[in-house]
Amino acid sequence: MEIIRTENLRHRFSDGTYGIDGISISIRKGEFVIIAGANGCGKTTFLRHLNGLLMPCEGSVMVDGISVTSDPRRARQMVGMVFQDADSQIVGETVYDDVAFGPENLCLERAEVRCRVESALESVGLSSFGDRRPHLLSGGEKRRVAIAGILAMQSEIFIFDEPFSNLDYPGVCSLLEEIRRLHRRGHTILLTTHDLEKVLAHADRLIIMQQGKIVRDGLPEECVKGSDAFGVREPFASRQGMELSSWLN
Amino acid sequence: MAELSEFGFRPGLSFLHRLDARFKLLFLLLLSLSILRAEFRGLVFFTALFLFCILRIRISLISLIKEMRYFLLLLFFVFAARALTVPGEKIFQYWQISLSRQGILEGCLVCWRLFAVVLLGLCFISTSRPSEIRGAAEYMLRPVPLIPEKRVGIMLSLLIRFIPLILNQAKETAEAQRARGIEQRKNPVYRLMKFSIPFLRRIFEEADGLVTAMEARCYSENRTPPEYKAGKEEWIFLLLAGFVCAMVLFIS
Ligand SMILES: Nc1ncnc2c1ncn2[C@@H]1O[C@H](COP(=O)(O)OP(=O)(O)OP(=O)(O)O)[C@@H](O)[C@H]1O
Ligand SMILES: [Mg+2]
Repeated sequence: MEIIRTENLRHRFSDGTYGIDGISISIRKGEFVIIAGANGCGKTTFLRHLNGLLMPCEGSVMVDGISVTSDPRRARQMVGMVFQDADSQIVGETVYDDVAFGPENLCLERAEVRCRVESALESVGLSSFGDRRPHLLSGGEKRRVAIAGILAMQSEIFIFDEPFSNLDYPGVCSLLEEIRRLHRRGHTILLTTHDLEKVLAHADRLIIMQQGKIVRDGLPEECVKGSDAFGVREPFASRQGMELSSWLN
Repeated sequence: MAELSEFGFRPGLSFLHRLDARFKLLFLLLLSLSILRAEFRGLVFFTALFLFCILRIRISLISLIKEMRYFLLLLFFVFAARALTVPGEKIFQYWQISLSRQGILEGCLVCWRLFAVVLLGLCFISTSRPSEIRGAAEYMLRPVPLIPEKRVGIMLSLLIRFIPLILNQAKETAEAQRARGIEQRKNPVYRLMKFSIPFLRRIFEEADGLVTAMEARCYSENRTPPEYKAGKEEWIFLLLAGFVCAMVLFIS
């Protein structure tokens, strides 16, 4: 079943540059899609259309069959997005409050909010950080808080914009583990990166973008061949003709 | 500067932590009103009480005084202004400047009152989560007409969140410019311009980003209401606080 569909999506910024230029794509429910591409190729711009933070100049975006332009609030409930810059995502005055912000906006019961916050903090390894003030945390810890804030919303679709930047090795592994768990539970996952090595082995589909357009789209093992030409390093295993290996074992 | 650590919530399990924040806010009002009218005897009592609480919350007095140094300086000026201007029996005179006994006494009283209020505020702030304070403020504003209490609540929490951010931003901007040798420039106007333009731009960008982040997480005014937990303990404390205030006002 199709959950996201965009048709000829274009976005022109006020200074005249095209962030994305004619993207048509269809994503099935439960798919794990990686969007790769060089800096400035339009990954973030594209993802921001999926929950209505940016509105298309041309074309259309449908999430679960309903146009995002007509009902952005619903799209935001369905699509949880971890921002590229964790700092700008944190709104709470303590870690606990920040993670609780999303569930509270969904008007959940207090007990349910607490339960979700605790399990979200647990899965990013920050259980004991509830009372800390987010702006005093390290870069990687902030990123984990941001991720916990989205996990607690338990949206249908998860978007991770460069989730691995700033994370240490154990941090990358536990986030990968969490993403894999979400995927197994049937959530749809979109993840952007320009470093395929860490995640490619777990993905169902790879999309490569260049200058606002999709230039490759298909199975990871096939699409990744020769990706260097688009500013994305081909993983070592793939170069050697071996099977893609996971960071998790 | 964002690390104003003594003046923030510190987790703990003391009786002050357990009390409902609405009642604590009420105590804050009640006690500060009576402090501002209390005389020396009352102030001794209050100061002892607050110091006891502060020790119970495990705030170190030395770091406390360090953090309050600017405030103490301010108190000194308040004291000096009083001591020098209030007329009365002169105990020291030099040319036009004279110190009066009444002035010194009154200066002490005023400074002590302000100091006690700050100690009280510290007890409140360091034992209440920001979210609890917000909940309490929302509750108190509910009966006030024409004030959208939920919006005020969200503004309060954004303010708490934004102040350290602004301070951080100022520090980072200054550091970034120092790293590129702004100190070579002696013209203060040039330096101010070079500082304030990127600083203000960043603050606005940051505010814009915050709005986006809130939208992305489905912000609306219709949210899970804050949690209150008033029980028997709170009412007992309220009675006690009322009694104490009445006593203090009576003896002074
Ligand atoms: N607000 C804006 N105004 C004008 N141009 C913008 C704006 N935001 C982004 N752009 C431009 O749009 C293009 C795509 O930006 P985008 O942020 O989507 O890139 P990205 O693929 O996410 O890059 P990165 O890997 O660095 O995160 C860039 O060339 C950028 O300069
Ligand atoms: Mg980006």
